[in-house]
Amino acid sequence: MTQKNIAVEVTGITRKFGEFTAVDNISFQVSEGQIFGFLGTNGAGKTTLIRMLTTLLRPTSGQARVAGFDVTADPDQVRRSIGVVPQSLTSDLDLTGYENMDIYGRFYNISARERRERIPHLLELVGLSAWADHMVASYSGGMRRRLELARVLVHRPRILFLDEPTIGLDPQSRRVVWDFIRTLRQGDAMTLFLTTHYMDEAEALCERVAIIDSGKLIAIGSPDELKARIPGSDIVTLKVPQLTNDTVEQIGKIPFVHSVTMEENTLRAYVDNGAENLPLLIETIKADGLRVVSATLHEQSLEDVFIHFTGKSIREETKKVNFLIGAGIPQKWGR
Amino acid sequence: MRLLAVIDRDLKKFRRNPVVIAMSILMPILYLVILGNSFQGKLQGLPLAVVRDDTGQSSRRVMENLRAIAAGPQTFSIISLKDQQEAIAGVKAGIYKAAIIIPADFSRKVAMQAVPEIGLFLDNTDGISAESIRGAVNGAIRAIKTEYVPIREKADEVRLRDINLYAKVDYFQSLVPGVVIMAIFLGALTTGAFNLVMDRFLGVDESYMLTPLSKMDIVGGLIISGLLVTTCIATLIFIVSILITGIPFTNWLKQGVSVLVVIVLTTLGLLSMMFVLMGRLSHPRIVGILSGFLNVILFFPSGAVYPIASFPHWLQLFAKVNPEAYAVHALKTILFKGTGISSISHDLAFLACFTIVMMTTAVLSFKRTVR
Repeated sequence: MTQKNIAVEVTGITRKFGEFTAVDNISFQVSEGQIFGFLGTNGAGKTTLIRMLTTLLRPTSGQARVAGFDVTADPDQVRRSIGVVPQSLTSDLDLTGYENMDIYGRFYNISARERRERIPHLLELVGLSAWADHMVASYSGGMRRRLELARVLVHRPRILFLDEPTIGLDPQSRRVVWDFIRTLRQGDAMTLFLTTHYMDEAEALCERVAIIDSGKLIAIGSPDELKARIPGSDIVTLKVPQLTNDTVEQIGKIPFVHSVTMEENTLRAYVDNGAENLPLLIETIKADGLRVVSATLHEQSLEDVFIHFTGKSIREETKKVNFLIGAGIPQKWGR
Repeated sequence: MRLLAVIDRDLKKFRRNPVVIAMSILMPILYLVILGNSFQGKLQGLPLAVVRDDTGQSSRRVMENLRAIAAGPQTFSIISLKDQQEAIAGVKAGIYKAAIIIPADFSRKVAMQAVPEIGLFLDNTDGISAESIRGAVNGAIRAIKTEYVPIREKADEVRLRDINLYAKVDYFQSLVPGVVIMAIFLGALTTGAFNLVMDRFLGVDESYMLTPLSKMDIVGGLIISGLLVTTCIATLIFIVSILITGIPFTNWLKQGVSVLVVIVLTTLGLLSMMFVLMGRLSHPRIVGILSGFLNVILFFPSGAVYPIASFPHWLQLFAKVNPEAYAVHALKTILFKGTGISSISHDLAFLACFTIVMMTTAVLSFKRTVR
């Protein structure tokens, strides 16, 4: 990979908030024209990272170059080269959809003629032509998200940053956003950098994925590469009440079992030839006087990759964080 | 031009909030009405208990004089009682503001010139009412020795003839500069930096912080849109106040241009100051708390309600750096002395310096990054 085709280059970047380290010495590169996904639970440091790359936060240490420009030394050039759709909805409620896009285009000094030509086309692309002259206050969350995706393209950015682009959207809106992102990829060879905590989203959209956990980069590669790093082609998940460490240890010693994890009453084994070996696993557990309540067998997914590298389920972690937020406990660095 | 886009965005949003526009205009005018009526000097109808134990001629004259005050200036209303204790207890209970006891030997002592006394029991917890009653009662008893009204003035007596240099200014009229300044303060508070705080609160600010807008575009754009809005509102309020109070405008062009210059400079200064104070805030509640405090420390020591010369020394020192004090002085000079810009050059110089310092600080201290 030559210097020329690197869109984002991050070297040892760290961001601290007081004693808390939100992003801890992360390094990676993103090639031009790639869809790159940053995967992590809420509070893992994804938004902090994206804010540093988009000049909203200064790194405590380390370096980052975006579109060839240093984010600290040359933030203005970075801003001119990128488009950002932040996690929160940022369109003006008191302006119409068209006005939101027009003002945004003016922030980039896009000529009036180009704005007049380009904005209706972009609005059509996200299915909002009929709503162009309505106040954004009357839009649903999904419509606002679509508007903001269209708005960020007014100035034809070289690199597009999308922070949790489908968070809080219904399945239909989510599908529209996915299709839209794929369309972008086919067009201007734009580089897309997205963060998500949805495994299916990362799997469906991203050519390369980085997993971040507690501010640290855990793994990076294409979804297939990451899956290949996990030994065992199949995953057996067994629910066993009163599961003991001894039993888990015993299963781990079986030759066709590559690795095994335990989470409360759930045992997860990465195995060869799962369909054939599942009965043997159940027999081993029964021999310890335990009862298997349920058993599932499936091929590896990114969710499994995440569990393998972080030792926890992204869904459970997200639920825990949401519960804390719901209980009014501030999740200070969580975005 | 990016700056124009920031201004356009802000003005569009302002135009679409008719409640904010209506409140920005109505509130300063209500201020004039409420302030004008609540600070208006004269107290009237204070309940005064009178116990007259003396039936002599002198006490009758005292009563006549007291009744004349009750009927004329109406400083107090008289409640006649028989019992001294009842009158004093009434004052303590807050029923009466004061009680006068005319003792049984009052007229006799007057006739004998033997230091006649009248008892005045005052509720001195209400200092202003107590002073008002004391003054009125003193006036009533001082006059009882006057037997006749002289029909010819003494030729050798020195007389003071006061000559007003300017047209008479009534209390309501004197408040107009303060009301205009109040309008500017409210405008500067609710536009400019406040819109940035609201954008932060609503999470909308990232939409422009992430664009190539410079600090100058953001700060300058918001200040200019705030200036346009506030100047329009303050000018409208100024015209309405002039029409309500009937301040004579001798030279519309000269005075009008001078007033506009003061309004523009004061608005720019206050908008820039708000940016310095609120440029990093992210919750409108903090602005709410700050606004009450700022209004008190800027408006009351500005000379808009009471002359600065009456303030204690330390407060006079504060008035020297209070932009509203200069703005009030400038407006009073233009409105009540009928002069133009040359006579307020000192005020304008201060306001210009204040604006430059605040605007520079606002741009330098403004950060595009989030915390």
